[in-house]
Amino acid sequence: MKSAILLPLVMMCAPIYGAETAPAPAESLGATVEKDAKFPPVVSYTLKNGLRLLILEKKFVPTVSFTTIFKVGNVDGTPGKTGLAHMFEHMAFKGTKTINSAGFDKEKILLEKVEDAAKAVIAEESRQTPDPAKLEELRKGLDAAEKEADTLIVKDEYWKIYNELGESGMNAMTSTDYTGYVVSLPSNRLEAWMIIESDRFKNAVLREFYRERDVVMEERRMGESDPNRLMWETLFTNAFAAHPYHNPTIGWMDDLKRLTRTDADQFYQTFYAPNNATLAVVGDVKPEEVIKLAEKYFSAWEYRPLPERTYTKEPPQKSEKIINVFFKAKPALRMGFHNPGYENPDIYGLLMLSEILSNGKTSRFYRDLVEGKQLALYASSGHSTPGDRYPSLFVIMAAPKAPHTVEELEAAIMEEIDKLKKEPPTQWEMDKVINNYEAGLVRQLESNSGLGMSLASNQQILGDWKFDWKVTEELRKLKPEDVSRVAAKYFTRDNKTTVFLREPEAADGTKAPAGPGVTK
Amino acid sequence: MSLAISASWAVPPVLPKIGGIDFKPPQGSRYVLDNGMIVYLMKDNTLPVVHITAITKTGKIYDTKEKIGLGDLAVSLLKDGGTLKYKSDDMDKTLEFLGASVETSIASEEARADMFSMKKDLDKVLDIFASVLMEPAFEDDKTALKKAEVLELIRRRNDDPAREAQREAVRAFYGADHPYGWRPELSTIEPLTKDDLKAYHANYYKPNNTIIAAAGDFGSDEEMLAKLKDKFGGWAKGEVKFPVIPPVKIDETRKVYFIDKDISQTFIVMLQKGVKRHDPVEFPLSITNEILGGGISSRLTSEIRSRKGLAYTVYSYFAKKPDYGFINASCGTKPETYSQALSELIRQFDLMKAEAAPDDEVKRAKDAIINSFVFRFATPFDLISERALYEYYAYPSDYLDTYVDNLAKVDAGAVLDVSNKFFKPENAQIFVIGNSKKFDKPLSTFGTVVEVKED
Repeated sequence: MKSAILLPLVMMCAPIYGAETAPAPAESLGATVEKDAKFPPVVSYTLKNGLRLLILEKKFVPTVSFTTIFKVGNVDGTPGKTGLAHMFEHMAFKGTKTINSAGFDKEKILLEKVEDAAKAVIAEESRQTPDPAKLEELRKGLDAAEKEADTLIVKDEYWKIYNELGESGMNAMTSTDYTGYVVSLPSNRLEAWMIIESDRFKNAVLREFYRERDVVMEERRMGESDPNRLMWETLFTNAFAAHPYHNPTIGWMDDLKRLTRTDADQFYQTFYAPNNATLAVVGDVKPEEVIKLAEKYFSAWEYRPLPERTYTKEPPQKSEKIINVFFKAKPALRMGFHNPGYENPDIYGLLMLSEILSNGKTSRFYRDLVEGKQLALYASSGHSTPGDRYPSLFVIMAAPKAPHTVEELEAAIMEEIDKLKKEPPTQWEMDKVINNYEAGLVRQLESNSGLGMSLASNQQILGDWKFDWKVTEELRKLKPEDVSRVAAKYFTRDNKTTVFLREPEAADGTKAPAGPGVTK
Repeated sequence: MSLAISASWAVPPVLPKIGGIDFKPPQGSRYVLDNGMIVYLMKDNTLPVVHITAITKTGKIYDTKEKIGLGDLAVSLLKDGGTLKYKSDDMDKTLEFLGASVETSIASEEARADMFSMKKDLDKVLDIFASVLMEPAFEDDKTALKKAEVLELIRRRNDDPAREAQREAVRAFYGADHPYGWRPELSTIEPLTKDDLKAYHANYYKPNNTIIAAAGDFGSDEEMLAKLKDKFGGWAKGEVKFPVIPPVKIDETRKVYFIDKDISQTFIVMLQKGVKRHDPVEFPLSITNEILGGGISSRLTSEIRSRKGLAYTVYSYFAKKPDYGFINASCGTKPETYSQALSELIRQFDLMKAEAAPDDEVKRAKDAIINSFVFRFATPFDLISERALYEYYAYPSDYLDTYVDNLAKVDAGAVLDVSNKFFKPENAQIFVIGNSKKFDKPLSTFGTVVEVKED
């Protein structure tokens, strides 16, 4: 019964990938083709420099989605340089020695002048008491150097090329764990993509760094104006005392002010190696063609040894942390409980627990908190945030419905979890979760870009593109008692961090009203 | 010296010759049932799933002034309030156990019911879907719960200033009393009764007022059509009454609406009078907007973001409506630079009018839209629902098939013409939310200031 969904998936999958009976041509090039009918027939291939390709031919309309995931995120930053991974991600759109440049030999010299001028500004700004007159002088110097360098820039050429090619969804994302670059193109642009992107990662030039740093500071301000982002940042910075998941991915404003192009260049040299990346290509392409072109354009990208990624382990929390954040918005809460990470099989029990608590209208949070007690506007959860590479947090996010308070809501949430500690979930609840995961495995095959993201990030971060299928297997192995066991083990007061968002108190100490039309 | 270095440089990227995109969106099939329900089908056996959407002609703009929010409440309760055949709780249990979904939602000019099912469960899920559309029960406890949720969302509507700015700008632009600008209030939601919900459903939910689009793993069009006839064939057709929407009145003298709020970023939204739907001027206007603020290398992005570093978010777009739509230009910047960003926003509109865009810029904008056209049809369900939507919005039946040709005709002269016809930043309605204590210039620099109290 449980596997009933998986079986038809595979049989019905056949037409999408083209039923080939002869050995796939990609295999003669040294690629591995997934043959187990449980999985889509993904073609895996690794270049000599370590760049890994995952290719899936999928036809409907002539498009192709590219996803490049580097295993480098904010967690890999150095103290005082938070936000550098994200800052570099922005710089990866600024061109190469030949794209966005009107002549790099001359431009290079001018970029060095910009860098010297910027470092002088930062040095003065960083003094205990900067000299305003000197600072203004130095800023003028930076401005002049940037203007001079502008004369050798072909503005936004990288963007313009993709514009003309007919890109869709061109973007990039940085998390604690990884940095990803995505774009979809009409499928006859395959070689163009290979040419541009191989140049992008082999020959990046970080021009216009200090203006882009201003853009990133605006991105940070946008987040500071949004109560949701503020709550997340507060949760992570408080729940993690020692491990770098403590640091916001966007970076601290004070760190951003002192980041230099030199920092970003060093970061690029260290982490943007082919052996630190997985590329997924999903769409109307021939795998052997992708492999041949990848060999042609990416093989000259040099393998580089990567640094050790051992960071301070988060010590046991041993204390309950409660943080009140004051912000002009209606109350809400975020909670975090340290999880053991993906190396510990308990993570699957926590995943099951999270789904039982909050997946859908039949979930416990919805049934009891939103509906039954009518305390919550929403209540949701996730088993691993903000990252998967290291132990992170089981998180709960919720908001009360007036006139109820965050305290009442928090108590009710804990009551739900305590119930599960004592009494295992029903088999129906567990089967529902598994059925949803199985349907999800099929649904994720629908979108080229979505599937590309999942294949590449699972491979690069969790070590296996089949990870989502593996999770479903792990969920099937769980018994109801396992869920109770992990609930009891991880949901303890000394492993708990709670962030309450509260409206600012008035100067006379009176509290803000719950809102118009509210009666107890 | 530099020679030694240059020897190791990459060769300039010589892109292969990039041809056009030879893509004609597949047609799919269109049928009309005896009761007037239009059905679009696209069989697709690649995955064992079926997607269906039902588009019903109604929308938030058809609420009445005393009952703003009725449409939202009624449509969301079609499913959440249970049906005559399926109690709400039972329906959720069935759907969620199967990993299936039935969701209903409303936008300003359309209501949707969307369904997803694995192939094996299609009959079961389709029966629920049909029941949701035809015979909602509006169970009392679920109605009370949904009302409480809507009221709480009203109380929380200003939590996120970026969304607040967009909503309030449109409200100021059309006026709080016009259906294009209004928003639900506690006073318009609280009095709503079950009778209101039933009457709403009885008026709008008729087969002749609904278009269905389905794609996925069904045996054949005939087989799917037979299933739909079986479920919906007995649904009686009838007359639908739409309230008369008064013509929009747009204040064409510059105003600066302002909410003072102590937040890190200042949000600016500038609105100008736009186009009515079906005006063929949308083709040159699409290209013009792509150049100005639509695309990744647009002028607004290039100048305000990349060159000046003033914003992370900056863009423009235009919204078509039955009556005059709007042209929206938005950005977020720190309060200390708000006037620089706003001045540049205005200047870029003026530049579009002052001189014709270079041919290569026009060509790039055309390429960007034409070459990415194919992405509107990324999946069979995207394609068939797109076809249904264009019929729903009463576009000519060949609209999608002639779309590319219509864009291809646009030249620099046309771009200049539409810029001069539509861009009048001197008459724009500007909305600003931010901390005025830190503003670099008084707001009155930009026009008559109207301070708005957040509520």
